[in-house]
Amino acid sequence: MQTNPIEENRVSQAAGKAARGAHLTLRGLGKRYAGRTVLDGVNLKIAPGEFVAVVGRSGCGKSTLLRAIAGLEPPDAGQVRIGGGGKPPEVRMMFQDARLLPWKTVLQNVALGLDNGEARAHAALASVGLAERAGDWPAVLSGGQRQRVALARALVHEPQLLLLDEPLGALDALTRIEMQQLIESLWTRRGFTAVLVTHDVQEAVVLADRILLIEEGRLALDLDVGLARPRGRGSVDFGSLEQKVLDRVLRVHHKLVDDREIQHA
Amino acid sequence: MAPARTPARLLAAGAPWALPLLLIVVWQAAAQTGLMSSRILPEPWAVATAFWHLAMSGELWTHLKVSLWRALAGFAVGAGLGLLLGLLNGSSRRAAVLLDTTLQMVRNIPALALIPLVILWFGIDEAAKLFLLSVGVFFPMYLNTFHGIRAVDPALIEMARSYGLSGWALYRDVILPGALPSILVGVRFSLGLVWVLLIVAETISAQAGIGYMTMNAREFLQTDVVLVGVLLYALLGKAADVAARGLERHFLRWNPAYL
Repeated sequence: MQTNPIEENRVSQAAGKAARGAHLTLRGLGKRYAGRTVLDGVNLKIAPGEFVAVVGRSGCGKSTLLRAIAGLEPPDAGQVRIGGGGKPPEVRMMFQDARLLPWKTVLQNVALGLDNGEARAHAALASVGLAERAGDWPAVLSGGQRQRVALARALVHEPQLLLLDEPLGALDALTRIEMQQLIESLWTRRGFTAVLVTHDVQEAVVLADRILLIEEGRLALDLDVGLARPRGRGSVDFGSLEQKVLDRVLRVHHKLVDDREIQHA
Repeated sequence: MAPARTPARLLAAGAPWALPLLLIVVWQAAAQTGLMSSRILPEPWAVATAFWHLAMSGELWTHLKVSLWRALAGFAVGAGLGLLLGLLNGSSRRAAVLLDTTLQMVRNIPALALIPLVILWFGIDEAAKLFLLSVGVFFPMYLNTFHGIRAVDPALIEMARSYGLSGWALYRDVILPGALPSILVGVRFSLGLVWVLLIVAETISAQAGIGYMTMNAREFLQTDVVLVGVLLYALLGKAADVAARGLERHFLRWNPAYL
């Protein structure tokens, strides 16, 4: 029997992904702050190993959605289900700011919450390319390096679900592209499920299998990204998809402006 | 580079001491030309010899030992209690509601205003001095610890909780180190204050100590010995400050502001 080694590799990779990623189900998820509805009955199913990007204008509820999934904000309605095998799945969150403890070295930060985890923390640091900075204080690192340490800290727990809350928002353009490549390669190798909240539509198109748009607390768009990886930003398909999502995100805004102009007239 | 650098470094190290040295020179000159009577202020040389005689007779060390012991004991009791209550009230809303208002009221009474009462309660013994010092040192420590705990970045606490830290581990790894800069400010304030309080406490009535030595010298118009006492307080205060800074350098070495 003849087998195609490349094909076989892809199949086993997909199988590995499904085994190592958790699936995520949201049913009627609702959240209110001081009488204002932030999340209004969000239903969502994410397959194991899938990379999902959540985009939307600031204040649309996308960060709240992520915090509800992480268990940092108890929802007022509905439920969050995260599952894989029998035991409780490992869920880790990466925040917009790195949130490193300034009084612990880089290595100690990565090993936070581990028992005797120094060797594993070293390995995780090496996987984000910062092995030689293990003994440094976070204060001397650049913004991009801090986020890489935060990524290592999340990955050392071998999460089945990784939640990313605009982790690259504060980085400069070049560092951001580097980080996107790093996240993509680690995701490809490890096969965890990833949910990335971002305001950067291009970032969503680069990384995600699926792009979700949240508008006024509701799921307004659910789009599959069929582009092959790694994705070149210059391709026509890439550009047209990015434009399509961007137009859709901005539409609400245009509508509001139109309404106001009509009222003034 | 090295030879050019060394004098510059010496100059930089000597700069803080230039003004005190100049003052001493002017003072000595004023005393020698008769501009200033030695009854008002003895010349620096006389102070130096008085210091030498006191040191040689062993009197100085006896008094110094007694004063140091009082300062350390007062600091340990007062600052220790301040730290404990600051930690308690900073960590527990319930404790803060119960205790903080009372402590804030007591804080506004100057410790030294209590002297008459303290003498009634404790007599004029060591207990009275210890009480005065501890009460005075308590508040800077309490306030700074309380504030430090409350000011720990909630984002870091949230992060640590989401990484599974809770209870003592959360306290040890996040809350205490986060409050430490503020706690050390409290230590510094308290160490400075303990000497001021000690001077007053030792002049109430004492059989030994630097305060006793200076009060005694005043009775005999030994202004040179009085000045030795004053300078000793200044040196001890400076030593306490250096110690506090050393603590900051060690415990806050992660913070670029303290490097």
